[in-house]
Amino acid sequence: MMANNILLETESLSKHWGGIKALDDISLQFHDRQLHGVVGPNGAGKSTLLNMLCGTLKPTSGCILHQGERIEGMKPWKFVRRGIGRSFQKTNIYTDVTCLENCAVATQRRFAGSFNLFASRHANKPVRDAAEKALHQVGLADRMNTIAAEISYGEQRQLELAMVLATDPCILLLDEPMAGMGHEESLRIIELLNELKKTYSIVLVEHDMDAIFELSDQLTVLDNGTHLITGTVDEVRNEPRVKEAYLGKDDDEEAA
Amino acid sequence: MIFEKRTERIFLAIFFLIALCIPLFLEDNSFFVGKITTILILAVFVMSLDFLVGRVGLVTLGHALFYGLGGYLFVIITPEYEAVNFWIYAVYVMGISALIALVIGAVVLRTSGIYFIMITLAISQMAYYFFFDSLAFGGGDGLFIFMKPETSIFGLSFLNLDNPTHFYYLALLAVLITLLVIKIILRSRFGRIIEASRLNPERTEALGYNIFAFRLISYIIGSTLAAYAGLLFALQYGYVNPQFMTWEMSGTALVMSILGGLGTIYGAILGTITYEGLQYLFEHMSEDWMLFMGGAIILMVLLLRKGLAGYLEKLLEK
Repeated sequence: MMANNILLETESLSKHWGGIKALDDISLQFHDRQLHGVVGPNGAGKSTLLNMLCGTLKPTSGCILHQGERIEGMKPWKFVRRGIGRSFQKTNIYTDVTCLENCAVATQRRFAGSFNLFASRHANKPVRDAAEKALHQVGLADRMNTIAAEISYGEQRQLELAMVLATDPCILLLDEPMAGMGHEESLRIIELLNELKKTYSIVLVEHDMDAIFELSDQLTVLDNGTHLITGTVDEVRNEPRVKEAYLGKDDDEEAA
Repeated sequence: MIFEKRTERIFLAIFFLIALCIPLFLEDNSFFVGKITTILILAVFVMSLDFLVGRVGLVTLGHALFYGLGGYLFVIITPEYEAVNFWIYAVYVMGISALIALVIGAVVLRTSGIYFIMITLAISQMAYYFFFDSLAFGGGDGLFIFMKPETSIFGLSFLNLDNPTHFYYLALLAVLITLLVIKIILRSRFGRIIEASRLNPERTEALGYNIFAFRLISYIIGSTLAAYAGLLFALQYGYVNPQFMTWEMSGTALVMSILGGLGTIYGAILGTITYEGLQYLFEHMSEDWMLFMGGAIILMVLLLRKGLAGYLEKLLEK
C-alpha cells in the first residue's frame, strides 16, 4: 500500500495562537489513491490541520509540500488550482441558486474565462456538463434544478461534496462530511467515499468512528495539538496511548 | 434575454417610452427638461452604486468621489477656451477615473464590512477637503466650464449640448447604456462569480477564485460609470465644485437605490425618480420639506422591505 506516491506532505507544521499550541510539530504524508483519516477529541486540532492544508489558515512554522513544492504561503484559491479541494464542516453552499448553478460556479473556472464580461454564463456546454457530472457522482442528478435551500440537509451535504468534486481536485480535504446525517444517509456517503478513494487522495476528518475505521487506509490520531500516531486502522486500534487519550472517553465528550 | 423579470421589462418599456416622448410636450419649458435631465444623470449614478452595493456586495459610502472626479477631471484636462470633442474626452475622463479607481480599490478592498464603509467614506472626505482647500482647483467655488464640447462622430454632429433637449437625450442614452452594460455584466461568466462571491465569499474562494480581483474589476466598472454621470452633470450646469463629492451625495444615492429595491438595477431608476419627485413636491408644499421627506422615506422603507421594485414584482410576477 505504501507504493502509492506522496501527493501532499507536512513538515513540522505548527499553529500557535499566542501561547496556545493549537497544532504542534505535525509531520504527515498523504498518499495518492488512499483515504487518510484524522481523528481526535474536540480541540485536538483536526480542523486547524485541515484549514492549513487548504490554505485558509497560515501556519506559524513548518511547511506544506505539494508535489515537492512549498505551498504554505500561497493564497487559498491557488491551493484549489493545484488540485486541493475542500469541503466544509458547516454546510457552505449557495443557498439561493439551483444545485446545478452551485456546481457550475465550481466548474466554470476550468472551462471558461471567468473574467469574460460579455459572454453569457449560460452559453457554455462544458461548464454545464461538468457540473451535471459532479451531481451525478454524488447521486443528486434528480435535484439539478432545485434551489439549494429547498433540498434536505443530507442532500445539502452531498451537494457540498459535489462542489468539491466539480473543482476537479486530486486531493479531497473533507471536514466531517457525515456530520448531522442520519444512518442511511451516512451509509450512502461511506459507499461514495469508498468509490472516490480509488481515484482521489482523500483526507477525512470525521467523528463517526465506525465510518473512519471502515474507510481509512491510514489513520492519524491527534490529541491536544500533538501527533499521537499514524498507522493502519489495526495499528491505531491496538495502541495503548490512543485508548487512553481518546477512545475510552470520547463518547460523552463528543455528545457535549 | 438579459432582462429576466417580467416586471423589469414592463417598467423599462414604459419608462423609455415616456422618456423618449417627454421633451415633445415640454418643448418650451427648458426648466423642466433640465430638471428631468438631472434626474436621468442621477439615475446613472445611482445605478452604478446599486451595482456595487446590491450586486457585488460592496457597501460604499464614498461613491460620490467618482461623481465629482468625473467633473473635475474634465475641466482639468480640457483646454480652457476650446471646444473639445465630447466623446473623446469622455473616454479620457473615464480612463483616468478607472486608473484612480484601480489604485483606491486596491487599498479599500483589503477591508470588508463596516471597515469598508469607513474607509470609502474617509477617502472621499479626503478628496472633498483636498478640492475644497485647493486654490488651483477653485476651492469651494469649484471650476467653470467655459466651452461646451462638440459631439461630432466622424464629422457628423447630431447633438448640440447647449440645447437642453439635445442634452436630455444624451442623458437618456447614458441611462440606456449604463443599464445594458450592468445587465450584460451580471449575466456574464464574470457576473456568475460576482454573484457567487456576494452570496458566499468563503465558498467562492474555496472553489479557486481570487475574489479580490473580481471585486476590484467591479469596483473600477462602478466607479467609471459614476464618473461618466458626474461628467454629464458638470456639463449640464457648466461647473463642478466640491459639493459633488460630499458624503451626503453618496448617502442620498444609497437611499435612492434602497428605495428602488437594492440590487435590482432598474429599481435604481425608479428610486431616483421617486426620491426626486417627492423632494420636488415637498419643497413646494412647505418650508419644512425635509421633515416630510424624512417621514416619507421612513414609511416607504418600513412598508416596502424590498423597495419599490420588490413591491411591483410582488404585484406582477406569476
